[in-house]
Amino acid sequence: MARHVIWSGTVSFSLVAIPVQVVRAVESGRVSFRMLHNKDYSPLTRRMFCPKEELIVPPDEIVRGYEIGPDRYILITDEELESVSPERSLTIEIIEFIDIEEVDLIYYDHPYYLVPAKGGEKAYRLLVEVMHRTNKAGLAKFVLGEREYLVAVKSTEGGLVLITLHYSDEILPDEDIFPKEEEIAAEEQSRIKGSINKMLADFNPEQYADARREKIMAFLKKKVKEKVMVQAPEEEKAVGEGPADLIAALEESMRKVKEDR
Amino acid sequence: MAGRATWKGYIHFGSVDVPVKLHTAVKEERIQFNLLHRPDLIKLKQQMVCAYEKVPVPVEEQARGFELEEGKYILVDPEELEQAEPADSRMIEVHEFVKTGQIDPVFLERTYYLEPDVNVKGYNALVGALEEMDVEGICTWTMRKRSYLGSLQARGKILRLHTLRYADEVIPVKSLDLQNFSLSEKELKIGSDLINQLTVPFEPQKFANEHQKKLQKLIDQKGRGEKIAILHPRRLQPTAPDNLLQALEASLKKVA
Repeated sequence: MARHVIWSGTVSFSLVAIPVQVVRAVESGRVSFRMLHNKDYSPLTRRMFCPKEELIVPPDEIVRGYEIGPDRYILITDEELESVSPERSLTIEIIEFIDIEEVDLIYYDHPYYLVPAKGGEKAYRLLVEVMHRTNKAGLAKFVLGEREYLVAVKSTEGGLVLITLHYSDEILPDEDIFPKEEEIAAEEQSRIKGSINKMLADFNPEQYADARREKIMAFLKKKVKEKVMVQAPEEEKAVGEGPADLIAALEESMRKVKEDR
Repeated sequence: MAGRATWKGYIHFGSVDVPVKLHTAVKEERIQFNLLHRPDLIKLKQQMVCAYEKVPVPVEEQARGFELEEGKYILVDPEELEQAEPADSRMIEVHEFVKTGQIDPVFLERTYYLEPDVNVKGYNALVGALEEMDVEGICTWTMRKRSYLGSLQARGKILRLHTLRYADEVIPVKSLDLQNFSLSEKELKIGSDLINQLTVPFEPQKFANEHQKKLQKLIDQKGRGEKIAILHPRRLQPTAPDNLLQALEASLKKVA
């Protein structure tokens, strides 16, 4: 299966530059359904639509606007957007390294893998090995589409993972929900510790499965046996129009799946 | 201030029950753009379009299909999906406790702050126990018709709940088919030294989202009708494999 490349550029630290691609590290466990047209069972695709003229708008007629009032916009082109931080749109420059244990888990946002592009394999392998040995992660900022991401690059299972981090001003304070009293139920605490001791284990994520997904897969299997299938008409090959807007598509793939939940 | 409480439940294991309220812990604010139609600047909407007939398809003509093989689908009714929804429950059930630091951050999805809801002493006792034993609880619960896997941690005075991805949602590194490359011990040594030299404490506060401010400035300039200087990004020249050692040595010299 061809890998979907989300971004391609360079990872650099000090004087070393490694050509890389950013690819997905996780896929949503939602059983993925295709939306179909109930008249002909043709798959549906998402297109940009002009509600006034009631027509599908081709990519070259789409512009990006910042709303300053009702129906009033400032137009921003791709080139202008790129000019905001040009040095970061093709380079993930690791400016410092940190000890991984120091990262408060609340900062981690979304993971991606980095894979080496042609010619970068050796330096990539070096970064994997030395970050593994030293248990360090590199910190960098890079720009994709309309957003700039603060990211941690670390070694994992023989590869490099890039995890976007939240900015510290996005982390909400928690003081307002602190317990109103300091008192601890001492007896209860020793009982809790006793229970925890009996339940100690090693983390093994494989033993947990999404019950909902399993149920859906079960009834899909049943339907396969019953052979209730529909067939889409032969498509003309003109569908390869690509996403409505490249930046929007990139944004979409960087955006977390959580919003659709 | 923590986000408003979005859900109430209770943590359960053994004979322990601790009621809590979930609060969101992270809030993102981004400059938002709209996509417009060039000739008349009408705000565009996303629309599902029939790939065959190339016409917009209204919601009532949309069906959901599971693709078996190319172009062949099993139709699925919304009622069938509803039947697969887990039963409602308020219980966050802890199944086991693991030493902290075992969970690969790739699994982390999002964080909630847990506010004590009655029985504050019991809540404090749980915070203390987790902290002293340096463990976190692996738990499952059902919230808004979804089943979740998560990790329960003590942090400061409160409990946090991190939702975790299911194991089969994480793409294995081995599927990337990464090549192995032999490196000399010297390259590894200098590489490690360099990284150690560049290591600093993790201080996320010093990374502001400057880009967001610069973007706002650009929008303002454009709004005043000023001309925007177009700057083009430059692609860095990759370090050639044969020059890697040399680049590492030069880097180390620079920082030492």
